[in-house]
Amino acid sequence: MSAFPDDLLYSREHTWIRVDGNIATIGITDYGQDKLGEVLSIKISTPDSSVEQDEPFGMIESEKAVVELISPISGDVINVNEDLIDDVGIVNSDPYDTGWMIIVEMSDISELDNLLDSYEYADYVEEDEEVD
Amino acid sequence: MDTWRLIPFSRHDAFENMAIDEAVLRCHSADRIPTLRFYGWERESVSLGYFQDVERELNCSLCRRQHIDIVRRPTGGKAVLHGSDLTYAVVASASQPPFSPRVLETYRVISECLIRGLEKAGIRADMVREGRSVHAGEGDSCCFAVPVQYELCVGEKKICGSAQVRVRDAFLQHGSIPLTFDGLRSRMIMGLQGGEHGGVPDALTRSVTSLQEQLEDRASVERLCEHLAGGFEEYMKVRLILADLDRDEEIMKEELLRKKYSQLQWNMKGLMVM
Repeated sequence: MSAFPDDLLYSREHTWIRVDGNIATIGITDYGQDKLGEVLSIKISTPDSSVEQDEPFGMIESEKAVVELISPISGDVINVNEDLIDDVGIVNSDPYDTGWMIIVEMSDISELDNLLDSYEYADYVEEDEEVD
Repeated sequence: MDTWRLIPFSRHDAFENMAIDEAVLRCHSADRIPTLRFYGWERESVSLGYFQDVERELNCSLCRRQHIDIVRRPTGGKAVLHGSDLTYAVVASASQPPFSPRVLETYRVISECLIRGLEKAGIRADMVREGRSVHAGEGDSCCFAVPVQYELCVGEKKICGSAQVRVRDAFLQHGSIPLTFDGLRSRMIMGLQGGEHGGVPDALTRSVTSLQEQLEDRASVERLCEHLAGGFEEYMKVRLILADLDRDEEIMKEELLRKKYSQLQWNMKGLMVM
């Protein structure tokens, strides 16, 4: 069973968000990285760009697929994880900590209401796994 | 019995082929039926994986001199030389059984369909159960150099190279089945070192087969498409209905062609303005 830290919020596109005031740190979940397989390459939004909830913020390549990364929140990108350039494998090995992807200054904090808590996300994952 | 759409076989240039595949993907939703497409290439072309570095992994000057089109696919993977191949494409929802949220499982399902189709054409193909790592060094810019799990081989030789992209729940998987295969030419175009020595085929030529090599009687492309389509009908237990792109897909195709696939900054650098 994948881990679902309860201090995070989650999207149905298998991204997580850690909120600190109006600042959000975003990455993909442990379940998301497991579905992908070994991550080989990543391309994500640059600082000073903006992202929108439910719209792409990057692309990630794993084994034999390229997958769109969907932002769980809208706002301005203020930082990206440059460690991913040298070691993209941290997305697989440490998705909730060193494998974070972007940091966003949120433009509409009410969008958090559209996301799932850890219990809701666990249920969602269980439904997804039943499809397998 | 469920139905799938089968887009009639056609040939286009590299840019339009990719625009069609991505348009079908972008327009796909859970209330649409899956799409199967077979197509050819108007002229010799190279398609690159989404993340490939064109200048580093392709002999661009040779491509320019010989008027070989270069297009960047929306899918991952490595470079493929087109023009003497039959290409298939599948667009469906990953959550719709028997497809899966897991990428490799979707490869397995589509490979099962292709195995049955190739069998109808008289070719016994099997799935690679344990693939080589895609980090392989020698020849690693070329798709056919690296057999990945669930890809198709005849004996030890790869007969189909595939790649996939996922956009939310929808996926596009397309793949190349060589009608003929020129390993030396592929190596030259991919800028790979080495080649035939003393009449001994290079490693790439030894690792790839083609329909011409496997079949005594050369079947028409249209007949091959019928066999492969039959493989999908059989494994997926579906009925295929012929239909072209609808109006939304045509509009999306034209936009993708204009803003993405006809643009050097996309094909050469992977940069998009849309």
